[in-house]
Amino acid sequence: MTDTTAETGAPAPRTDLQADPVARGPLARFFENWPLSVLLALGWVFVVLVVAIGADVIAPYSYTGLDLSSRLSPPVFMGGSWAHLLGTDELGRDVFSRLVQSIRMSLLIAFFGTIIATTLGTSLGFLAAHFRGKVEALVLMLIDFQASMPFLIIALAVLAFFGNSLPLFIMLMGFNAWERYARIARGLTISAHEQGYAAAVRQLGASPWRTYGHHILPNIASTLIVSMTLSFPETILMESGLSFLGLGVQPPMTSLGNMVGYGREYITRASWIMLSPALVIVLTTLSISMIGDWLRDRLDPTLQ
Amino acid sequence: MNDLLQVDDLACHFSVRRDHGFPARRVPLKAVDGVSFSLAAGRTLALVGESGCGKSTTAKAVLGLTHKTGGDVLFKGAPLPKAGTREWRRQRQDMQLVFQDPLAALDRRLPIGRQIEEPLHIHGVDDKAQRRETVTRIMTAIGLKPHQAASFPHELSGGQRQRAVLARALVLEPSLLVLDEPISALDVSIQAQVINLLVELQERLGVAYLFISHDLKVVRQISHEVAVMYLGRIVEHGDPETIFTAPAHPYTRALVSAIPTVRTTKRERIILSGDPPNPIDTPPGCPFHTRCAQAFERCRIERPELASTGDGRTVACHLAHAPDVRAVA
Amino acid sequence: MIRFILSRGLRAVVTIFLVVTFAFIVLRLSGDPAMQILSVDAPPEAIAAFRNEWGLNQPIWQQFLDYLLNVLHGNFGDSMREGRPAMDIVLEHVGATLMITLPALALKIVIGIPAGIYAALHRNSLADRMTMMISVAGFTVPSFVLALVLVLIFSVHLGWLPSTGNATWKHAILPIVTLGTAGAAILARFTRSAMLEVLGQSYIRAASAKGLIWRQVVTGHALPNAAIPTVTIVGFMIGSLIAGAVVVESVFSWPGIGYLLISAVANRDLAIVQSILLLIALCMVCANLVVDLLYGWIDPRVRLRSAH
Repeated sequence: MTDTTAETGAPAPRTDLQADPVARGPLARFFENWPLSVLLALGWVFVVLVVAIGADVIAPYSYTGLDLSSRLSPPVFMGGSWAHLLGTDELGRDVFSRLVQSIRMSLLIAFFGTIIATTLGTSLGFLAAHFRGKVEALVLMLIDFQASMPFLIIALAVLAFFGNSLPLFIMLMGFNAWERYARIARGLTISAHEQGYAAAVRQLGASPWRTYGHHILPNIASTLIVSMTLSFPETILMESGLSFLGLGVQPPMTSLGNMVGYGREYITRASWIMLSPALVIVLTTLSISMIGDWLRDRLDPTLQ
Repeated sequence: MNDLLQVDDLACHFSVRRDHGFPARRVPLKAVDGVSFSLAAGRTLALVGESGCGKSTTAKAVLGLTHKTGGDVLFKGAPLPKAGTREWRRQRQDMQLVFQDPLAALDRRLPIGRQIEEPLHIHGVDDKAQRRETVTRIMTAIGLKPHQAASFPHELSGGQRQRAVLARALVLEPSLLVLDEPISALDVSIQAQVINLLVELQERLGVAYLFISHDLKVVRQISHEVAVMYLGRIVEHGDPETIFTAPAHPYTRALVSAIPTVRTTKRERIILSGDPPNPIDTPPGCPFHTRCAQAFERCRIERPELASTGDGRTVACHLAHAPDVRAVA
Repeated sequence: MIRFILSRGLRAVVTIFLVVTFAFIVLRLSGDPAMQILSVDAPPEAIAAFRNEWGLNQPIWQQFLDYLLNVLHGNFGDSMREGRPAMDIVLEHVGATLMITLPALALKIVIGIPAGIYAALHRNSLADRMTMMISVAGFTVPSFVLALVLVLIFSVHLGWLPSTGNATWKHAILPIVTLGTAGAAILARFTRSAMLEVLGQSYIRAASAKGLIWRQVVTGHALPNAAIPTVTIVGFMIGSLIAGAVVVESVFSWPGIGYLLISAVANRDLAIVQSILLLIALCMVCANLVVDLLYGWIDPRVRLRSAH
């Protein structure tokens, strides 16, 4: 850990401050606001969204369609045929078609899960901040509980007790990270009530609906949206983890984690079955978290 | 009683957790302890005192924003409805509050025109076009340019923001406006402008002010009556000229002596030592005796009641009522 | 200070109580245990006898009390599959889990913390950027993907290491590396941001202004202060020594708690699931408690704030 600064006693140099934005062209300034990595991430998310929405049009085969004549056929770049772009699995099902369907399913679950978590957490945070006292103590207790138990374990316990169905599974994903939104909503609402605009609006005679809907919610929305982009990838990971273990999305439905779990059996003979969905999971979560970090730096530097 | 606002023996006691010691005990904190005053329409009453003396709590209790534990608050002869109820909300048309920090009190996401219009919207006054007209009128009256309606709070100066807050409070033409330290967050040069504006608006609209401040110089300019508070009680109450020229209570005397002046004549400055006692442990006897230079035996035992001194004011001090009492004791 | 310890202790007890309540509620909501454990077409007398034996005819609060008492004794009933007390089976699997999670924890600390400190001290250098890229991957690459990629490389292609089972010490290497790399990346990121925040504080500038050489500033002022947030994350990792390997154990068929949990969930062996749930809750809560106390000890502000 000895470098030149050790002798001078100066703090570590901060090269990011030395850049002079005026001296550089418009292109450089554009990339300063929109880093290449973020542009690539946005591009990937766009592609994934298009695939998820247009899954039925894009998929060349039915995701359950069997083609027993070409079982375990490798993808094009591994010497396979163009008939099956990403190869086929043990039952001759087209990996590309299954991938497209899996992307739709995984995004759907993560999307609804995040929406449920945000709604649930924000409402509980509002309730805590509005009523204070016992309601607040109860909400704080639940937050403590949620934060101190790994969510995977809670999810596994619920699945053990209730068995599995898609609506239940989506609901369950909606309990992932709700406490984060509850904390944000509660904290910001309390400070708005104590000295800020919320107290002012309330004493103008506004109803609670108006105070929360027209003033507090729009004011904390940017913070909530940033948290959503940061926890969306976590929900994808949670979903794919559980599906990988065979406890999430159940066949014949398919999701990204499900495909990896299935492909694991063929890892020695047909690793492509598991590699393409794995790559999609990694790229998608990576892209969304990069966008989330970037949004946080731009919109809400207070959040960390 | 034809007074707009009538406060009788108001008490706000809170139960607070004691920090040190185990197990934790809850002890009563008497933020406001037996305060009475009245305010007529179109007049200004100033509540002054150090921070923590209970003046802001009194203001909140008057508005029904804080739960009172005793006494009565009558507004236009009727008790206040419970806070948050529909009746309470409707009553906001007639009584308004102006906060200390205008930037915090405004929603930073809405243009100020929308925010000034909001009270009209909430109470369903007029239609959209008429509301816009009212907003333009009040903005002009308060010294803002109509085109500033589209500005966001952070685009305005401190003085302009406080004007916007005042406009929002006055747009419903309330009969009572509570001003909680309305100018202490402003620059000195702007303070004078806002004070002049307040005086002018009162003459024009006939609104009554309950003016909370620790700045006696400002209080003297604006108020018709002054009540000095110490530890949750009024210790001296009267018209500002009498109080500022001849303060009767030793605490008022100390406050008045601390007003900065440009006069060169030497004045005796009374410097209070220490902080006011913790409102959890109010001392027996006169609450001020721990810091009072003139305190004597009786002050430590018997609490002086607020009583008239015959010159139109009331004072809570043994010495003020019987200056020779010390000789007797 | 006594109050601080007691308030945190109370919080721990409340959390445990919530976990038990959660298990009880979910258990009751999930259907009639008599129907689940016996089969649906069991004779009515058998169901009645079962209900009587398990106290299912009693009022719900009485059932809850009995449940609490049983839990206090660590008694969750017998495993449906093996017919032995569930807690015994669970405890038998703890050792196997610790055999991979303890070395993995050491790996995380030995790699993650120095990497984070180095990256912070050399901000924006190539090494920093590399560390950050790898640590972002640690957040976004799910452990089962990392595990399978390692298997693909080291077992399938190179044939150096076995992919499943626990017969030899070699079997433990891939699970440990999988757990360790992901955790090290996360720890590096936390340490780096904690260090950067501390280095930006005025007391660091004051320390270098008063003439201390940079190395003294770092070791004397920056590191102790940056340790505070890092302790939290390490505490969380210690708390998840038992719970943190569920997926990895399943990939490598490593017979630990996670492996047991997954098969119990799949078989709906509720006694086992509840025992594991409580065991994990105990670990997490104890670790949290220790971290809280340590926190209060390192950072006097926490102690003072909590007193208000």
